[in-house]
Amino acid sequence: MPTRTVTVGSSSGLHARPAKIFVEAAAKAPVKVTIRSGDRKPVPAKSMLSVLALGAKQGTEVILEAEGEGADEALDSLAELLAKDLDADA
Amino acid sequence: MSDQLLDPRAIRLGETAAGRDDAIRRCGEVLVEIGAAEPGYIDTMLAREQSISTYVGEGVAIPHGTLAGKDLVKRDALAVLRFPETVDWDGEPVTLCVAIAAQGDGHVELLAALAEILLDEDQARELREATEPETVIRLLGSIQEEAKQ
Repeated sequence: MPTRTVTVGSSSGLHARPAKIFVEAAAKAPVKVTIRSGDRKPVPAKSMLSVLALGAKQGTEVILEAEGEGADEALDSLAELLAKDLDADA
Repeated sequence: MSDQLLDPRAIRLGETAAGRDDAIRRCGEVLVEIGAAEPGYIDTMLAREQSISTYVGEGVAIPHGTLAGKDLVKRDALAVLRFPETVDWDGEPVTLCVAIAAQGDGHVELLAALAEILLDEDQARELREATEPETVIRLLGSIQEEAKQ
């Protein structure tokens, strides 16, 4: 399964604003994307509550996974988003 | 991090608000009243909301300030305001606001713990329907402990 390992870039972690931007992008993806951190079970990347529950801070490594047509492209753009500091333009 | 992240005085379960911004202002006023933030923090909460909604699902929003507002935070604290008649939050009905004042990134754990509670349907409902501060403290008590770790 196509997978990307990304380090969270947002200075305040994957919380309200960066999480929302990420979740909205994941919801638009043509494939189902999951996100997990460490050994915890993968959760839907388009679920705000699930993403918040990860408690990912800046520097936390998360793993994105998706399957199907367009999975690689979707993962690339989501990974790019996660690596950015989404608080920078807050 | 303060020992008392959730001050019982910051739990208000019978609030009313004319709309989203009014609800945010009430949340901010409570944080100011309990000495957790300077009055200017309220404007940064409104600015944050305009930039992106703090609605998280399950009828719950988590209003908080912008990064620029961090300097106006005196201590990390939560305020829990319940609007039994619900507030229209950009089309989503909001019953509960968990307002946040945070200086560092301790609130990421705090939000994670809150999200865990809201992912559990029964606990989410209990929290939305709480009429006693004790219920809120019991449900969110785990947040306080986790945030201290």
